[in-house]
Amino acid sequence: MSYKLPDEKDLEAMIGIVGKKYASNNKAITASYLSKSVMGLEAQIPDIVVRPKYTEEIRKILIYCSAEKIAVSPVSAGLSGGFACPTIKPGGVMLDLSRMDRIIEIDTENRYAIVEPGVTNGGLWAYMHKNYPDWAPPIADGAPPAATVMGDAIDRGFSLYTSSVGPQGDNFMCAEVVFPNGDVVRTGSWALPTAKPFYKYGIGPDMWSFLMGSQGALGVFTKVVVKIYPHPKFKTVVAWGMSNPYDMQDLTLEIGKQEFGIAHNTVMVQGGNYPLVMARWPKDKVPHDYEFYKGIGVSPWWMNWECWAQTQEELDYVVKRINTMAQDFKKNRAKDGDAMTPWELHPKQIASRMKKPNKIAIPYSFYEAGFLFITWYTPWNECGRFAEVYTAAMEKYGFPPVMWIASIERCRQAICMPIVCFDSTKEEDFERVQALNQETTEYALKQGWLNYRPDPFIHIQAYYQSGMYWKYLRAFKKLVDPAGIMHPGRLALP
Amino acid sequence: MAKTGLKRLEELKPDIFRCIHCKACRFAYSGEPDKKGIGEYTGKQGTVLYEGMVDACPAGIEYGWEAFWNAGKMWIARSILDGDLEFSEEVRDVIMPCITCGQCSSQCENKIPTVDVIEALRAACVEAGVPMIEKHQLIQKLVKELNNPYGGKAEERFKWAKEAGLEKYIDNKKAKIGYFIGCTAAYRQIDIAIATSKIFEKLGIDFTFVGDEVCCGSPFFRVGAVDTAQELMNKNLKAFDGLDLVFFSCAGCYKTITNDYPKWMEDDKLPFKTMHAIELLSKLITEEKLKFKPNKELKGKVVTYHDPCHLGRHFALEMEQKMIEESKNLMMDKRKIDKIIEAWYEIPRVILKQLEQDTGIIFKEMYRTKLHSFCCGAGGGVRAGYPEFSLRTASQRCDEANAIEAEILTTECPFCFTNLSNSNDQYNHGLKVWGLIQMIDELDLLDIQENPKVEDLLKNKK
Repeated sequence: MSYKLPDEKDLEAMIGIVGKKYASNNKAITASYLSKSVMGLEAQIPDIVVRPKYTEEIRKILIYCSAEKIAVSPVSAGLSGGFACPTIKPGGVMLDLSRMDRIIEIDTENRYAIVEPGVTNGGLWAYMHKNYPDWAPPIADGAPPAATVMGDAIDRGFSLYTSSVGPQGDNFMCAEVVFPNGDVVRTGSWALPTAKPFYKYGIGPDMWSFLMGSQGALGVFTKVVVKIYPHPKFKTVVAWGMSNPYDMQDLTLEIGKQEFGIAHNTVMVQGGNYPLVMARWPKDKVPHDYEFYKGIGVSPWWMNWECWAQTQEELDYVVKRINTMAQDFKKNRAKDGDAMTPWELHPKQIASRMKKPNKIAIPYSFYEAGFLFITWYTPWNECGRFAEVYTAAMEKYGFPPVMWIASIERCRQAICMPIVCFDSTKEEDFERVQALNQETTEYALKQGWLNYRPDPFIHIQAYYQSGMYWKYLRAFKKLVDPAGIMHPGRLALP
Repeated sequence: MAKTGLKRLEELKPDIFRCIHCKACRFAYSGEPDKKGIGEYTGKQGTVLYEGMVDACPAGIEYGWEAFWNAGKMWIARSILDGDLEFSEEVRDVIMPCITCGQCSSQCENKIPTVDVIEALRAACVEAGVPMIEKHQLIQKLVKELNNPYGGKAEERFKWAKEAGLEKYIDNKKAKIGYFIGCTAAYRQIDIAIATSKIFEKLGIDFTFVGDEVCCGSPFFRVGAVDTAQELMNKNLKAFDGLDLVFFSCAGCYKTITNDYPKWMEDDKLPFKTMHAIELLSKLITEEKLKFKPNKELKGKVVTYHDPCHLGRHFALEMEQKMIEESKNLMMDKRKIDKIIEAWYEIPRVILKQLEQDTGIIFKEMYRTKLHSFCCGAGGGVRAGYPEFSLRTASQRCDEANAIEAEILTTECPFCFTNLSNSNDQYNHGLKVWGLIQMIDELDLLDIQENPKVEDLLKNKK
């Protein structure tokens, strides 16, 4: 499909919609929106950047660009960990939605917050910390403070409650979305003009789920309604170390499968291997030998259970149950029970792990000069094998075998995130990363594992293998975006 | 260190490419989401929620576009290095309105020396033949003609000293200790120069003003006119040759001569030691050689302190970078680095806490302090080049002082003092802006227990 390269006349049209201050084709300004790291290595400098403030401005922009056949890529303000979905070929107009940063409503009875796309994790957290200290939004755990609440949702991200209540998409109830055909649609109960946004499902089939994971390829979200949860004062982290990913997987599953009680108290269940600690420091200024990590109490693999409870008694009970189950697993069912050990965390380590939002994912670029998350979903009871296979592949390609794994909805699924630390100043390193990605993707798809944030080129294979589903995705895209202007190339959609 | 802009930019490539565009650099306290604050405050420049992390990049706040926040500039630098972007007036106009306060660098988990990158970017832009903005061209013309960017006559640099009865210290050949006045104190804020000199005199320090002193070059290192800056550097190195120790009252001059000169010198070691005047007072208080007299005017007054970026954050980040370079195991050394930085920020606070004890002031910190301190808006060539933006930034800082109901806003840099004072007047913040040393001298607060010895001053001072 071919697209028009925006020119001065198109810039004038954008200025006519948003005002002179908020549309630009200044080359330094457009270049500043680049990002080639964290979530993807593909990016192109947009031709024009526009910073709308209102839904109606977005509607006019999309109608204009549809008529002119100009590609449009929206960014909320950061997405999780940098501009996760930057403009890719063919460039065009980038919509920077950071001016749409209003926290519209907090409803503690119906337990939701209505926010615009530019509301950041840090902003919403601070606002609620001050004004609604007994409540917290499900912001992404690990995404930095400038990432947005909405971006994490439509990227089907991960929140600080995900281990307990499910993926980030499940934390959102309703949305307002502008389609390129000019329609402004509200989803869920919000579709009914008289209804509050209290229910994710509304009139007939659910459109919101269809938009989940759309990464800006179907329309522009202008408001989202996100669930809020109690923020109890009684919190801690329980951790266990082990020698292999299978013991990590199986113990965690035993606890998650409880479903009720303690499984719901463990809001965040995440683990990994010792290179996850190592690769947060410069390559030449950190020991690579495991013996060092052993010396500071880090096991080859470990799992953390972040526990929240309404009373100390309840918290003590949860901690005791996890430890009792772990001891029983160690004694009776572990592959390497002798290596299993409770990890006595220092209060500062506990505080650090419970801090939200945090900068925990950022320093993987400190190891060399760049990193890429290549994230996959697997059934929980396959995450051990995923870890074993993927870390071996990383070592084969000369990367440190950094692996992070977390539970979704009480171990129904695993989010498995190999962190590929590489030197982005070297072209050959980019090639090495892509070769690893290609080989592992081919293997992973054969295992039935799903890519989380599809790379527009390498992970396109998943769509080819899911032909019938892809056919309906394309049909829906055609319905709402007949000119195919929204983020062309993303999700293998035109 | 490379001695030209583009080479320096290339040298910094591994740092620049560490930016993942996470944008944590836009906040103060980006890693402290639960920091308890003072809530929402509406001041002259709008409403700010002082809770958890708070936007703290002046250029980003002013202009809004991604390009004006630090992360955007890191990707502009990367685009230049990748050949995706060429220097032009468009690029210049985006990279110039940055105060180079270093807030971004202090927040960066990947320890990118962002100020170095921005300064290298500007120097490379000048080298590429892009003309500097007119106001920077003007100050460059003035410094070339008059050795200062204010247009003051070179022979009048020490006029204030003669008028204040301090003439005997001009080219005092016996002294091994110098006092680098700096252009702002010499031509605009002479009260600071007088107060500092009188404090030295009261402490019995035999010191000298150096008649051949010229602009330290700070504005020119900042805006990319590095040739001009190096010419000034060489003049000063010659003028101050032979001294053992040089004192400063200007944070910018102190940072430039202590941290920048060695990087641009052929021999990367300064021939003299350097010290800011507040380091001296702080040291004397710690050694119990100095107290303050009670004062009725100050008693019960709420006093706050603005950390000048050049004195606080720039030194802290320089120390951090050096310690990272020297570290063999950063995981183990990180806490040590944090402690050293914390100790550095305590230096002015030792004075303020002693004042609290002796004079009855109520010392209260603003929300954003120390490594997270919000800039006054004067640095990086912004005061000269973009005065309105500069003053709005200073007004945001005054808002922050108003938010804690401060009556006196102290600082220890004539350039910060100028900007904060001007903004205080222009936007009617109702504060008394005062140089800390100026306040101590003007209210005659020194209660000297024991005069310092020269050899003690040189001990342990780099």
